Amino acid sequence: MALLEIENLTVRFGGLTSISKLDLAVESGAIVALIGPNGAGKTTAFNVVTGVYEPTEGSVRFEGRQIGGRPPHAISQLGIARTFQNVRLFRGLTAIENVRAALAAARRSGSADVLRPPRWRRREAELNEQARSLLERLGLAREADAAAGGLPYGEQRLLEIARAIATRPRLLLLDEPAAGMNPSEKQALRELVARLREEFGLSIVLIEHDVRFVMDLCERVTVLDHGEKIAEGPPDTVRRDPRVIEAYLGTGGGAA
Amino acid sequence: MSRSGWITVAACALVLLALDVLLPRVLNPYYATIVIRIGIAVIAAVSLQLVNGFTGQFSIGHAGFMAVGAYVSAAFSVYVGAGWLEAFAAVLPGPLARVAYYPMALAAGGVAAAVAGLVVGIPALRLRGDYLAIATLGFAEVIRIAILNVDAVGGARGFSVAAADHPGADLRFEGFGTVYAVALVTIVVISRLVYSSGGLSFRAVREDEVAAASIGVPATRVKVEAFVVASFFAGVAGALFAHSEGYVHTNSFAFLRSFELVVFVVLGGLGSITGAVLAAAVLTAAPELLRGLGEWRMVLYSLLLIVTMLVRPQGLLGTRELGFDWLRRRLG
Repeated sequence: MALLEIENLTVRFGGLTSISKLDLAVESGAIVALIGPNGAGKTTAFNVVTGVYEPTEGSVRFEGRQIGGRPPHAISQLGIARTFQNVRLFRGLTAIENVRAALAAARRSGSADVLRPPRWRRREAELNEQARSLLERLGLAREADAAAGGLPYGEQRLLEIARAIATRPRLLLLDEPAAGMNPSEKQALRELVARLREEFGLSIVLIEHDVRFVMDLCERVTVLDHGEKIAEGPPDTVRRDPRVIEAYLGTGGGAA
Repeated sequence: MSRSGWITVAACALVLLALDVLLPRVLNPYYATIVIRIGIAVIAAVSLQLVNGFTGQFSIGHAGFMAVGAYVSAAFSVYVGAGWLEAFAAVLPGPLARVAYYPMALAAGGVAAAVAGLVVGIPALRLRGDYLAIATLGFAEVIRIAILNVDAVGGARGFSVAAADHPGADLRFEGFGTVYAVALVTIVVISRLVYSSGGLSFRAVREDEVAAASIGVPATRVKVEAFVVASFFAGVAGALFAHSEGYVHTNSFAFLRSFELVVFVVLGGLGSITGAVLAAAVLTAAPELLRGLGEWRMVLYSLLLIVTMLVRPQGLLGTRELGFDWLRRRLG
């Protein structure tokens, strides 16, 4: 059984069909890319999997459980985390607070926070320690107490990944993680993503426009165009698929 | 609690007791009233800070919850509590009987307001920004006008917190100690609630609701929690107000009162508890202290607000806390 199974998924907004009859399976431990021209429905697919949108038709199953239509916080608690295309950090909080918020979100207790028994202190120290080590692993240790909104763009993207991992997910969705990064940052990110998969036992789906990034990192690529899947398979095969070339360059285009 | 924690609590209790005994002797009743009103304003402002400053939900109907607390606790005292107080007084010495009874009156006001907060919050917190503000404002007006038409609590005549059939029960409480003990509890509870890992959920919702949900924060629930806790303390503040003044009228909880509380919170700095305390204290005292200026008083008050907003648009303290590390070490 695949970790994530999307079957016959259709998403419509009024008369606009954003995704049409999409089938997609993500095996446990895989790194999969979702590519396609702007408006192809990639982010919409993420939004359905994370509960931001409800599927109009079709099913989304995670670890065999139906999750289509559940609220975002519940899906996060089941083990799916994400980052956003336009980085959405808690800008007014510090970097470490961003991570601590994610570590603590699923198990909050107002009465313990107010009464602060010894157990609470231990847990608070533990969360702090975990947050710090997570920042360290993403190379953000020095920025722990800096306001998230003031970090350079590349570090904001990393912090968003740290925050997502803090929810202890099994599936991580990265929406254009390399956008706005220079080649050397991209190289570092590629290595980081590969390493995070090993260290945290993650399966990863990423949306990315940078072809080299995708080709080097991902085992499988799914190509969407106008809400439909037009190709799927290993990166090299997909790259040569005439329909993919057509979607990106239009008919009569040369080699990609 | 650790040993130093107990020592802190004991020290606070001692200071409050001293205030309770000393202040009425050194202050004339006019100043005494102002000091009490400052305490009540602090409670209301700090509780509103949880909703507006920390959770980022703009409520401008906080006085509505104060009204619920004030009237319910007053009615409770007059119709039920007076009898209990007499019964207590029969077995306990006078002051002790009052100390035993008073928390019940406050709890009645707080719980009633919390229930109102829950009922209003669940539908209203689905709204955002301006819409939420208008809904809370509307609620506060509905409450005020509803109370105005309930004869059991005096309607438009106002409501005296005195029970005609229990002449022996003095339902007025003017203790500084009580007001400031409640204010201290409010500050400690709310600051502990928000300055903890779990409490980061409130600020996460303020910063970005979509992102908060994506890390597993049940945003609607968190907003309702903040609203209910804030309403509870607003209700307690209302109850304190009713019992210290000895008389309540809906005029005390009109739109201007709600607005004043928003001013405290914004001026103190959205997301700063000590800022709210400071602003509530200064701005409650200012109109009284400026009374000598006659009609120029409100002009100066307005100027003070305008200048502060021009010079410090983020509020006096922004999201920082005054000496909070010190406080946290003591109370945490």
